[in-house]
Amino acid sequence: MPDFLRKFIGLLLIFAAVGVASCQALLASCSPSATTISSMLTH
Amino acid sequence: MGRLLLWASTVLIPLTALIFLIRWRIRTMAERYRRIPDRFPSSKGILMFLLPLPVLFAAVASLARGNLAGLFDNTVCYGLFLGGALLLRRGLRTEAEYDRRRVAKAPWPLKTFGGSLIALATGLTAWSGAHYHPVMAVAFALAALLGCHLTYGFDPRGAKRFTDSEGVDTTDRVLEALAQAETSISAIEQATRNIGNAELNSRLRRIAAQARQILTMLEEDPRDLRRARKFLNVYLDGAKQVTEGYAKTHGRVTAPELEDNFRRVLTTIEEVFAEQQQKLLETDVTDLDVQLEVLNTQLKREGVV
Repeated sequence: MPDFLRKFIGLLLIFAAVGVASCQALLASCSPSATTISSMLTH
Repeated sequence: MGRLLLWASTVLIPLTALIFLIRWRIRTMAERYRRIPDRFPSSKGILMFLLPLPVLFAAVASLARGNLAGLFDNTVCYGLFLGGALLLRRGLRTEAEYDRRRVAKAPWPLKTFGGSLIALATGLTAWSGAHYHPVMAVAFALAALLGCHLTYGFDPRGAKRFTDSEGVDTTDRVLEALAQAETSISAIEQATRNIGNAELNSRLRRIAAQARQILTMLEEDPRDLRRARKFLNVYLDGAKQVTEGYAKTHGRVTAPELEDNFRRVLTTIEEVFAEQQQKLLETDVTDLDVQLEVLNTQLKREGVV
């Protein structure tokens, strides 16, 4: 795999995993009834 | 509101990743045209400190709402993120040192430890903070682990060994000599802090910087170690002892003669260090001269020139 592509996929994964989890944690702590991504997807 | 956030994050995440990647790419292209920096770039690995910041805000929000469980969960998760980021950055620094040196031991797998800690923190945050299903939390953790490995790579494995001209493996001896020299330089710098004379301090700082430059040259080409043995065993060690001794005594005794003597010694040390540096550079030039001569003779013999 080219170095460029490897780093791009890596950054995407980090943003998607760490970024989404931490933002969701902030949302959940700000409002007890805040909808998480998983509940939105099921609607 | 939630749907808007979801759409915004779907667009923003790839966009930010792309911006980071383009920045990295431009820097890599520019590095071809300039010397590799000696210092570790300060921004490398900083992303892992910035991304988990919402978890810290979540902890503060939990505190404001009086939610003790939330406060505990988010604080622990942020602590894990922070620990992982610190380990990862230390690992990147160690890797840069390993790449720079021609002789080095295999470093501790700090990048792997850091990535694993970040993955654990991501999984825990997704499960306890964002209330995802445990299976989804594990998926988050795995994605973070894979992302860390793809972005920052694996830890270097295997020692970079050095054999002298007689074919003897002298890796341990070289590393020991370099570590000892580094300790002496650090001791000089430490003793400088206890000396309250600005002029002497600046001289000592210059000496420490010169010694470090010589050490860098030795790290880059350990063959010079044999030629610089006197510098390592006599001058550097002597400079350390004299500086430590002066730092201890000058506070208790007021003797202008002592200060003058110390100044004279420092001047001599500076000269000797500069001479040593020049000698190593001249050796490099001689080596290059010999190589050029050999190549020239070979080309003549082949009938190219």
